[in-house]
Amino acid sequence: MDAKFFKLLLLGGVVRFYFSRTPLAAMIGNRVEFATPLNSHKRMQEGIFLLQSGIDPYQGDLVHETPLILSALSGLFQKYPHLLPAFYIILDVFTAALLYLMSRRFVRQKQEQQTTEQKHYAKDTAELQFSDLDKYDIPELVIVAYLFNPLTVMNCIGMTSTVISNLFLASFLYCLVKGLLLPCLLVLAFETVRSFYPIVLIAPLLLVFSHNSIRRGLVITLLFIASCLGVAYANFLVLNSWNFLDGTLGFIFYFRDLQPNIGLFWYFFTEMFEHFRTMFLITFQLNATVLYLLPLSIKLRKEPLLLATVLVALMTVFRAYPSLGDVGFYLALLPLWKRCWKFMAHGFVVFTFFLVTLSMMGALWHLWIYAGSANANFYFGATLAFSTGQIFLITDLLFAHVKREFCLFKGQKIWIDGVEARIVLK
Amino acid sequence: MGQPGCPTAGPRPRPCGIALFLLALIPLTVASSAKSPLGRDDERFDEELVVRPLSGDHVNTYFQFTTRWHFGHKDNLYHTQLTPRVIAELLQQFDVKELHIGLTQGLWRYETWGYPIVEATSGAEMWAWFSGDNNLTDSEVNSQWSQLANVFSGVLCASLNFVDKTNSISPRHLLRPQFMPAANRKNFVRYSALPREIVCTENLTPWKKLLPCGSASGFASLLNSGHVHNTKYHSLGLKVRTLCEDNSEDNCIVELTQTANLVYDLRLFEQSSSSSSNGDFSLRRLFGMGLNGYCELAESSKMYVQRNEQGERYQLVPPPSPENEEVRSTRGGHTAIYGVYDMHEQFKDHGERLFNVAWLAPKSENRRRNMVKPTPPPLTVHRYLLGHGQERGRIATEITNSHYDALPILVQEVIPWYVHGYLHTLSVRKKPQRVNEYGRQRIPFKLLHYKPGKQRELPSHLEIGFLLPGQTSALITIDVDYLLLKWLEYPPDANHGHYIGSALVSSQLPMGRNYTALPVEGYLFRDSFNATRPSYVLSLHTEALIVSLPTPDFSMPYNVICLACTVVALAFGPIHSVATKMIIVGKPTTTTPKNFIKKLLNKVFRRGGQPAAEGAGKGAGTGAGDGEESREGAAGDAPPGESELPGTGHLDDQPLLEDLEEND
Repeated sequence: MDAKFFKLLLLGGVVRFYFSRTPLAAMIGNRVEFATPLNSHKRMQEGIFLLQSGIDPYQGDLVHETPLILSALSGLFQKYPHLLPAFYIILDVFTAALLYLMSRRFVRQKQEQQTTEQKHYAKDTAELQFSDLDKYDIPELVIVAYLFNPLTVMNCIGMTSTVISNLFLASFLYCLVKGLLLPCLLVLAFETVRSFYPIVLIAPLLLVFSHNSIRRGLVITLLFIASCLGVAYANFLVLNSWNFLDGTLGFIFYFRDLQPNIGLFWYFFTEMFEHFRTMFLITFQLNATVLYLLPLSIKLRKEPLLLATVLVALMTVFRAYPSLGDVGFYLALLPLWKRCWKFMAHGFVVFTFFLVTLSMMGALWHLWIYAGSANANFYFGATLAFSTGQIFLITDLLFAHVKREFCLFKGQKIWIDGVEARIVLK
Repeated sequence: MGQPGCPTAGPRPRPCGIALFLLALIPLTVASSAKSPLGRDDERFDEELVVRPLSGDHVNTYFQFTTRWHFGHKDNLYHTQLTPRVIAELLQQFDVKELHIGLTQGLWRYETWGYPIVEATSGAEMWAWFSGDNNLTDSEVNSQWSQLANVFSGVLCASLNFVDKTNSISPRHLLRPQFMPAANRKNFVRYSALPREIVCTENLTPWKKLLPCGSASGFASLLNSGHVHNTKYHSLGLKVRTLCEDNSEDNCIVELTQTANLVYDLRLFEQSSSSSSNGDFSLRRLFGMGLNGYCELAESSKMYVQRNEQGERYQLVPPPSPENEEVRSTRGGHTAIYGVYDMHEQFKDHGERLFNVAWLAPKSENRRRNMVKPTPPPLTVHRYLLGHGQERGRIATEITNSHYDALPILVQEVIPWYVHGYLHTLSVRKKPQRVNEYGRQRIPFKLLHYKPGKQRELPSHLEIGFLLPGQTSALITIDVDYLLLKWLEYPPDANHGHYIGSALVSSQLPMGRNYTALPVEGYLFRDSFNATRPSYVLSLHTEALIVSLPTPDFSMPYNVICLACTVVALAFGPIHSVATKMIIVGKPTTTTPKNFIKKLLNKVFRRGGQPAAEGAGKGAGTGAGDGEESREGAAGDAPPGESELPGTGHLDDQPLLEDLEEND
């Protein structure tokens, strides 16, 4: 098993390495679907260049990476630029490894939970329970879904900083499952200061670590705030100025750059009437963060990891500058819920949505920007449909989970008056 | 001059090497102008006209109207005579010491025309130096700057009111003061260019009104809008500077220089007029009328006609004034010969007759062959965009040094906020002049100043300095991204494109070939005669660029808002129900047929009955869900029982049977 794990990692690395040496890499690095103002490699280079030249990178609005990352990577970028693809590949493979370890542990936990609850389960629910084989299958599926998903591969060869975000998120999930509070908090605080939206992941963290005690929860929240401030202060020390806050968090919140991406924000705020802009900005940011936080936390309080998955996915759909690398990351988490798949009804629809819209995006972008024969509406349509597909996927997963929970205890087939009953949400 | 190496305020980034470099570039603003021949309260006005035939059948006419007033103390500014009141008030209101405004249409061709007497870029351009005591702050200067722009927006009827912080910069090295900055004072400079500005009659008329004689008499009477705006290149300029003696504010001169620089294309005249076709021209042909006299208020009123180079082949009728027939000006090894017409002389004896000068080209020879090849100027600049599409591009600025020796070059780029420049992609590559392709050879920067831009707030401001070897071209490239703007930020005709202002290139020539600019300490055109200096400061403008940014669809903001909100709602609905609703088990309302078409029919006709059926387990609903349903029921004469099977029309026969079977 372990040999296979390493083989997969190696293969994933080789695939990435191969593609990073093709012209595809430069092309992907320039595609708006992968490289957003937040994560593009070119802006990272610019930031490091400005930092090295002694110009405050946050004076302008090209650079939105935190000073810590900029200064940490500056040596590598300046001295060994040819090693950069390899560096990103290593980070990505490491992310895959973390996800693998995380899912192995997760399945084991699930199985332990299952043995204690076994007696409450209904008779015909064997296929809904984690089997012995799942211990091997699910982690393998997760790692395959991460390593060989074209979205993550392209994200990696495009050298976007989403690779780094994914690494942080993966280590967050790993620490969450493993039960390491402090690393978990630190990683989350770091990622929150970088890209703002991961702040919602405090909910699964609280669910896992507070053990239903409000006092513990409060302490953890305070610790989280303290570590956020700590990370922010560490960033402050790099340049001795707080400009970076506006350059990173402010830039995300106010959505200053309207460059097209796969999200919902760009065209909406391009076409927005100026006097409504603030209101809709707040609405959309709330929608991406706190709107679903409380209801889902209550509903999924027993399944913190599912909550984390759903929050990561919702964050990807509704964040200001999403990229396909983020999508690839949460897609890799789906195999964890393999036992829900039975109830997922829209698999084919979502797959078709993804396939069609992703291929349309390239074509419509070309028609709009280069050929001049289409306009922005075309591309907007494709991104809108892509978001819709993602939303279908997320809600489908939620429904499937709810149904599985129900069927697990009540049995898959319930008969009323001789008729097989229908399960509905009321 | 207190600190010749440091005219700008603030620290220099890399002092040691660059100080020398700067020192070489900056002219000594010699104090001779303060030792002016004017006494106290003395005021004089001079008008000059220079006619220079250029190569390629072009004629350059340059008007300069200079008012110079030794006003002494600031309080005297309330009593203006020749100086326009607005200029005097300017000095009272603001801490401005020097102001340049250029309104230009067309492009000056350096390769064939040489260097102009006054530099300008297409559109509107404006820069000003502010100097005040140490209380003067940067933000105060900013507000003064925008007020100043607004004042001249009114005075010149130009769109200078669009000068604001989004297109203004504070040049660090390139613009040099011409007003003798005092050592103990803080100096600020602001620069802005509006390349989109279209210069027209409405600017010329108020510009002429600033002259003491208006357009009634003197050379200004030649500037008729109909003819001025038919030129290939026309540039109106306005320059104000104050010169104070010995750093004291009580003994000052204000100097207002108004210039009009026109280039006529003679071939256009030939096409429009049927008569002569041999390159003859005259004042009357150029301006539509002869000269009606001189401005009575002018101290001197002289016309200079270049007689060598391209002017050599012309015969002048009438010939220049006999007493000082020719002025021979040798400047930096370059000789220019001017014939002089003194208008005071010309109009001394003959009364109201219009004065006209004709340039007669030799008739016999083939004039195209006979034309003197222009000597190309030592330094030329060009700029263009690379790349295609509305996503990203590359700005390329090409500087060619055809001089045999190395020249120091300073380049100032202002990249507007709607274009993102990536500094790390900035490169200066070089090639020998005779080679076509640029290789990988780079030129190291001697100086680099960069201020990154901010969307909707600040332009990116880049200044670089390097030494360009002789007989070499340098290609400066920087990668840029084009931004998508908010739909209301696009100007009318959004697909016309957005302008990127021209780059300013400055250098210092060791010789005076093609160089005609006025020396810093001089104020009349004749001050440039024999004004040999160790070096000549040259500043050039490149072409302005136009980029087409991606445009949204302007017609459907409502649709976009609705659609995007719908997708948000698509997520909200299901998540809301997952989070709030309970799972219950209900009897299926109906079983659907297997066949797709039947399923469809079933769906269509069952619409009304469904809600009633769903609630009741026993299926005892009424089935009268909506009007259509009850109408159908009545028409089909079916009994209202078996509500799960509401579609009782004849079309629904088949599903009805199947349902019955399965329910059993």
